[in-house]
Amino acid sequence: MNNEKRGELVIMRNGRIAVPSNGNGGLDGTRSGHFGHCDVFTFIDVENGKIKQVSTVPNQEHVQGGCMVPVNLLANHNVDALVVGGIGMRPLMGFKQAGINVYHDSERASIRPVVEDLIAGNLPQITDDQVCGGGGGGMHQR
Amino acid sequence: MNDHRTIKILLISRNKSALSELKSGLGKKQVQTEWVESGSIALARIAQENFDLAVADENLADMTGLEFCEEVIAQNPMVNLAAVSTLSPADFHETSEGMGILMQLPVSPTQKHAEKLLNQLSTILGLAERIEFKINE
Repeated sequence: MNNEKRGELVIMRNGRIAVPSNGNGGLDGTRSGHFGHCDVFTFIDVENGKIKQVSTVPNQEHVQGGCMVPVNLLANHNVDALVVGGIGMRPLMGFKQAGINVYHDSERASIRPVVEDLIAGNLPQITDDQVCGGGGGGMHQR
Repeated sequence: MNDHRTIKILLISRNKSALSELKSGLGKKQVQTEWVESGSIALARIAQENFDLAVADENLADMTGLEFCEEVIAQNPMVNLAAVSTLSPADFHETSEGMGILMQLPVSPTQKHAEKLLNQLSTILGLAERIEFKINE
């Protein structure tokens, strides 16, 4: 990925970002509050710190206990970073195991500014105590 | 899902009889089950082998079923989970939120629960293999 660390934050030079999105997604679309229930994932390919290409992939049907399905989906599409508003402990552990960094923004609905912040190194990675459920903060936004 | 793949399921309970009905129901041609008596033994088995599903009784010899599920998630989140619990469905959902538990099972689950569990597991394992991709910009 060839990215640059700045303290706890990472400036993204190269790689693929995934954003759980509503409707058709895309850079000018809106984010889905919970990655497991999104309509599509918007993929943003970054090259030399610039947005090179944007694409989408439909999410799979969400079934109880199936939170590893999107983990496999994104891993199979060579995603390097994911931005969520909320996520459970199990998928978070899955993404960590798959080598996908998970970033957190629970405030902004628009995709573009969040992606721009991630590329610029202004978005924090989610911590284990910020996950949904288990007394860990409960950031579900359905 | 690949029709020829063997599904590996780990059953964990203090007494073998607690999950024996469920085990009978899981006894299909392409399903391999193994029973162990404690959470720590189960975690050691999961470290050694790839299980598709672990089913935990409500209280194990060394931890609760839900504590076991948390340990599995930290160790290997790819293992699917089911747990016996006497909590109401709403309380179970609240307590296990984020753990991605496939199914809450009643005490002494039956062959019917086994069938439902296998169907749910098959759906998930099948979904993990269907992928589409579309470039739009």
